[in-house]
Amino acid sequence: MLLATATAPLAVACTTPPPPPPPPDPLAELVKAALSDAALATAVGAPETAAVRTEHAVRLQAEVDRATPRVPGSSAPPTTTASVAPPAGAAREALVPALQAAQKQAGDLVASVESHRVGLVASVAAGCASLVEALS
Amino acid sequence: MSVEAVQVALAAEHAAVWTYGLVSAFISVPQQSASVADGANAHRARRDVTERWLRDAGATPEPPAAAYLPPQPVDSATSAIAALVAVETDACVAWRGVLERTGDGALRTSALDALTVSAVRATRWRKAAGLTPTSIAFPGAGVG
Repeated sequence: MLLATATAPLAVACTTPPPPPPPPDPLAELVKAALSDAALATAVGAPETAAVRTEHAVRLQAEVDRATPRVPGSSAPPTTTASVAPPAGAAREALVPALQAAQKQAGDLVASVESHRVGLVASVAAGCASLVEALS
Repeated sequence: MSVEAVQVALAAEHAAVWTYGLVSAFISVPQQSASVADGANAHRARRDVTERWLRDAGATPEPPAAAYLPPQPVDSATSAIAALVAVETDACVAWRGVLERTGDGALRTSALDALTVSAVRATRWRKAAGLTPTSIAFPGAGVG
């Protein structure tokens, strides 16, 4: 009796077509930038910048994962933190412009992002500005 | 809800204006004196804009306190810079608090600017004090 009621919704779920994929999370782009900056910073010998941008990537990815609806039946997290290879011929001069771009990228989301995310996004933007000042 | 958060940010700006005034006598390195003057001007301007925002929202801006307590008595360049790191860090927390309590795009943009410039000045004073890490990973988050 109990078993019957429990399996019936599952059977329905298996025969209905999968829902359309959710729209991409805007924070996923911030994760990509943070990982790319961390790889660049490591390649050019800026360990503090690398550590901070890695922390940014981890915290942003955690929020993306939390917000991403899980597909029924799949146990794996929908996104994974891919490692980014350091760019060939990476130059230290590229670091500050990359951080400034990341500051703007996060800052541009601040006016419109949900209130539970705005603190994190704003702190990432201000954190990039702090890194630029620290490198100056 | 955002009015209360903006009052907290105003209190942080009052404290910053007061502290920049207090420390100026203890900082003699020319480049640092210029940074003190810049910071004082920036916080005065932010205070004025914040008071105006509150009046426009129908609130009465909270007045400044008679004095503020720095983390340690200010009697040297070192303790002066520590006081500046503290007020800038407090301002970051207060402005992030505003961001989390408003959906108003214009107020968010202004609060982000306040958070960012305070984070940059906090970093500048951390660097002057030789603190490590120099940068702040999540300004305003209350940690680091």
